[in-house]
Amino acid sequence: MGNVRSKPKGTQRCSQSAQRGILCVPSRRPARSLRLRFFVISLILVFGVVAASTQTRRRQPGRKPSPQASKGSATQYSDFLHATEKHKALTCNACHKVPTGWTAQRDFPDVADFPNHDACVRCHRQQFFTRQSFVGTGPAICTVCHVRAAPREAGRFAFGNPNRAGQPTKAKDRRQFTIEFPHDKHQNVIASGRWGSGSQTAVSFIRASFSEPADDGQKRPEYNNCTICHQRNDALIIAPLSGVPDAATAQANKFFKTMPQAHDSCFNCHWKNQKPAGDDCSGCHKPAATFEATPAPKRISAMFSHEGGKGEHVSECTTCHINITRASTLRGLTPDVPIAACVTCHKDNKKTTYPKITTIEEELAQFKKTSSCTYCHQSDVGTKKPPASHEAAAQ
Amino acid sequence: MKSERVKTEFSTVPSGRGGKKNLASGSILIFSFFLLTFYLVPSLAQTQSAPRGVIRLKVKFKSGDLTRELPRKRFFLIKGSLEDNKSLIEKLKQSAVLSRECYYRGKGASEGLIKWLTENDCDSIYCREIEEKYLSGIEAVPEFRAAYNLGLREFKSADLARRWLTVNVPADLRDGFYSEKQLAITSLIPQTGPSISVMTDRKGTAYLTDLEPGTYTISNLVGSETGKTSIIWACEREVKAVDLAIAMRRPLTLSNEKDAKVKCEIIERPLPVCNK
Repeated sequence: MGNVRSKPKGTQRCSQSAQRGILCVPSRRPARSLRLRFFVISLILVFGVVAASTQTRRRQPGRKPSPQASKGSATQYSDFLHATEKHKALTCNACHKVPTGWTAQRDFPDVADFPNHDACVRCHRQQFFTRQSFVGTGPAICTVCHVRAAPREAGRFAFGNPNRAGQPTKAKDRRQFTIEFPHDKHQNVIASGRWGSGSQTAVSFIRASFSEPADDGQKRPEYNNCTICHQRNDALIIAPLSGVPDAATAQANKFFKTMPQAHDSCFNCHWKNQKPAGDDCSGCHKPAATFEATPAPKRISAMFSHEGGKGEHVSECTTCHINITRASTLRGLTPDVPIAACVTCHKDNKKTTYPKITTIEEELAQFKKTSSCTYCHQSDVGTKKPPASHEAAAQ
Repeated sequence: MKSERVKTEFSTVPSGRGGKKNLASGSILIFSFFLLTFYLVPSLAQTQSAPRGVIRLKVKFKSGDLTRELPRKRFFLIKGSLEDNKSLIEKLKQSAVLSRECYYRGKGASEGLIKWLTENDCDSIYCREIEEKYLSGIEAVPEFRAAYNLGLREFKSADLARRWLTVNVPADLRDGFYSEKQLAITSLIPQTGPSISVMTDRKGTAYLTDLEPGTYTISNLVGSETGKTSIIWACEREVKAVDLAIAMRRPLTLSNEKDAKVKCEIIERPLPVCNK
């Protein structure tokens, strides 16, 4: 009897059930402790994952520690950082002269070159001239501007745009400033509308581009004044969309328009008098964590071309980029085009005006047959169920 | 005895491996619960944001027998109904008529410059490229020619002097009229927060998207010149959560003609006669 009592409860039950030929859990207490262990492990896991993800969320893109961060290291001076306390305490023109000698590099007055030696040497004598600085490949600080760290090396990297003198460029286009640009204000001052007669076609716009229009004798639609800054981009080579027939990828380069890349686009109005003037660097350049500039946003799926290919898109820019006049800054500015804007033209009832136009109704009908929308989308997006906005636009 | 049997049956499982499975599934359940609490619930809350509304604005005006669309004019969205913005409407009614021609004449602009601005409905000299023909010859604009000559001396390049011509035009004639309009707008906009504004396209259309449902007043705040008159619109619109595609079919049409469907205050005044 005493033996029976001394047996653990679970074992007792186990023996009873074993008699009935049913397998059982050998002991209840170990099961409890196992559960507890799982519970604790789960808790630790959850908190661990949450903590890790919170950290990841907090870490902003482009906020990687700078290569200059390790104080005292030999290589810390190979990249210049505007954001150090001592540099921040200086005014821009303590180093950058406006304009520099520009005639060799530009056809307009500009900050076309790095600051003079004096700008660096007055504080960094040690990094230039001590014996330690010549260990290895030479003073690392020289390579901020110069192609090689050698005493008689005159070759410098290109400074800013355009690089007309064909100077070597740095391997990575690292930047430490973003541009503050009130988009709406600029749209206001360049706004130009000209009334015609009657209610049929009323308005035409003067092409107000400061660059010369292509002289190929072809008549092009006159867009509104967005062309002052955004023109056809023949220079940009972007990766073609994968899995798309060649005919479509041929238009890939024309998907994105140009953006101002040089001071010329600003200085033509802001050189002097008009604030922020050319010598007020911080009027436009705002400090940011070091980031690498990309020539264009990533192209995802839309097989759209502003010109040619699938037919001329003759509407003015704001017909499709419906939110663009609202933007007061470049931050978060996306030239998004809702499907409803496409449907302004790509709808069955417009077939009488544009007989060859592909309509959203046709595309949705095609999707029902082939489970793929191929006119506007690459297959990875085109094979997904069209969103409600597309259905609504077709109604 | 019966209760003991039930207890026994409850505590037993078909196999030892199955027992472990049960334990594992239990802990998975717990794990899932925490996962839901920490991740899915907040993310669901984020995705299920409040539905937003859209206004498709269409602005036109009648001048004589002709109806025209109003291109390239900025319209502001102000919270509240016309009744709520009564004081603003009163200010609009009392505001002085800003006339481009009168402004430039007042600043001593030449006939050539006024003609150049009027031709393309420009408020400032920034709105068009200044072509060679406006620098010399019969169409020459004196202000442009003077600025070009200054640029020529400064930049030593004819092309640059023309492209950067505006940097040598006096501020009053460069963008003074635009700045005056901006001052007027700033003094009128209620200081309740940043207002949204959009500009009409060449067909007089503009979109106000991603709006919190509610009642709004839409106004250009400063008069838009339409040939002989200056028009200020202040119109009320109730915004409901609606898809853009639907909003496209139901535009809010502003016109200087009375429309019973649109609740509007239209302030149309003749442009003043300017002193020559």
